[in-house]
Amino acid sequence: MRYLAVFMAQLKMRFIYLRRYYFDTISMIVTMFIIFLLIFYGAMALMGGTMAETGETLEGIVVGFMVWSFALIAYGTLSWGMIEEAQQGTLEQLYMSPLGFGWVNIFRVAAHFIVNVFMVLIVLFLMMATTGKWLNLDVLSLIPLVLLTVAGAYGLGFFMGGLALVFKRVQSALQILQFVIVIFIAAPFGWSSFMKFLPLSLGTRLIGQVMIGEQSLLQLPPGDVLFLIGNSAFYFGVGFLAFKFFENVARDRGLLGHY
Amino acid sequence: MEHSAHMLWSNGIQMETVLDVKDLTKRYRRRRAEPVVAVDRVSFSVHKNEVVGLLGPNGAGKTTTIKCIAGLIKPTSGEIWLDGVEAQRQPKKAMERVAALLEGNRNIYWRLTPRENLEFFAGLQGHPVRKVRGYIDELIELFDLKDKEKTSARMLSRGMQQKLALACALIRQTEVLLLDEPTLGLDVETSYELRNVLKQMAARGERTILLSSHDMHVVQDTCERVIIINNGRVVVDDRVTNLMKLFQVSAYRFELEGHLVEELEMKLRERFPLLALSSTDHRTYIDADLVDGAELYEVLDILKAGNTQVKSIGHKEPNLEEIFLAIVKGQLK
Repeated sequence: MRYLAVFMAQLKMRFIYLRRYYFDTISMIVTMFIIFLLIFYGAMALMGGTMAETGETLEGIVVGFMVWSFALIAYGTLSWGMIEEAQQGTLEQLYMSPLGFGWVNIFRVAAHFIVNVFMVLIVLFLMMATTGKWLNLDVLSLIPLVLLTVAGAYGLGFFMGGLALVFKRVQSALQILQFVIVIFIAAPFGWSSFMKFLPLSLGTRLIGQVMIGEQSLLQLPPGDVLFLIGNSAFYFGVGFLAFKFFENVARDRGLLGHY
Repeated sequence: MEHSAHMLWSNGIQMETVLDVKDLTKRYRRRRAEPVVAVDRVSFSVHKNEVVGLLGPNGAGKTTTIKCIAGLIKPTSGEIWLDGVEAQRQPKKAMERVAALLEGNRNIYWRLTPRENLEFFAGLQGHPVRKVRGYIDELIELFDLKDKEKTSARMLSRGMQQKLALACALIRQTEVLLLDEPTLGLDVETSYELRNVLKQMAARGERTILLSSHDMHVVQDTCERVIIINNGRVVVDDRVTNLMKLFQVSAYRFELEGHLVEELEMKLRERFPLLALSSTDHRTYIDADLVDGAELYEVLDILKAGNTQVKSIGHKEPNLEEIFLAIVKGQLK
């Protein structure tokens, strides 16, 4: 019951922000869509073909862009979010929840995820309408796959959020990592078997197989799905443990809440 | 590692200790330098529903002590017991028992309204909103926030924001409440208003409060007992009334007509080396700490012998600020 109360408090706050700051919400959707258009038409111009010739690649861009949006939101909630809470002087209050800071943050990202699913879906529909490529939206297969895929990004977010607790000014590193996430998602999967050890990479490919290849979760190679579970658990686990470590360092040095 | 909170007997009344700090030490390590000792073997207890002031000059270790109790700073050594739970061993259980209003922090979400903030912090503590709705209404009433209930916190005045932050600490419904400089940065009027709310809370006796403040009016108005920390150590732990009494009985001011002749001044200084003399154009003032009535008569005898006209004799009004300064400067033991 207490866990539910903490989760509901976070979720309600997200919906209040979404509604009250609707201009910000709309700007975010429009910005995401404009970035997508730039990438999309840029890619078409580079490939020099018509939409019919470059079809599969363009569908890949739609999928990749969707995963990137989820990943950035996941990553930003924890990393930039931690800096924001410290700046506005509420981080220490969050820390004082009897559930522990770890759970507070897990519920926080869950609340963000739920709220942002709506925004990403709006952008996804806009993208599909623009490209005319209506992808397979097998919700039952996609939800677990997206969750598993972005779990890696949450791991990175926890890691960077932990760094922010101790080192405070980590904005440059955060920005660089945002672009590294693009590489994880967009780098061609086939060029090295090493790629599937990276976060987000294998997940993006499997989501592509569902959305473009029209396969269900059960039709995907079980080995790949298991590998994705292991990969996400690894990155999430390492990120979370690092966060706990940095949190401990911050408490020891009396840095929690300082900015 | 839970144990029942231990009891103390004071003036025949059984008192339950809900906050027990034992040998709390916090040392900050530094590269290529000696560690900084922020808090050095600090020990004190606070009983159920007691309001205790934590005083000390800047850098004395007040905030570090409060943050250690709130679990925000990891102590180097020592124990903190909150209503029978040791905070280091069971941090989550300890958090069920303590809430804090921290100095220099907003402590609230500026983009939420007062009611939304209260609901959020109740939820954060694990209280479902439907169970605390009545209490939220009560707090909004108590803190006079009804008219601003639907206004974003950032649009509120500084004083209202601080009252809301205090309400958000209260909505957590913990046994112990830590208030670090709750009136800092407030204008005189709002500080007075907040002080009244604190007084009401203290009078209702619903919470155990540890309050740190530079504002002696707040402490004098709301606290039954004060703990004074200096250089990371507890130098005084006594009831406010005892401290006031200590000062009241000893401080006298004599107002004399005209100026004091040199011979008389020498006589007085010989007998009472610590007395202070000051004068205006037509008046002389003698401030002296006298142990008893006999010493008072001695001063009068010396003045009478010199034919000095005494206009008035008064007890110097004791105030906590002077007592605090005297203690911190080591003048009062």
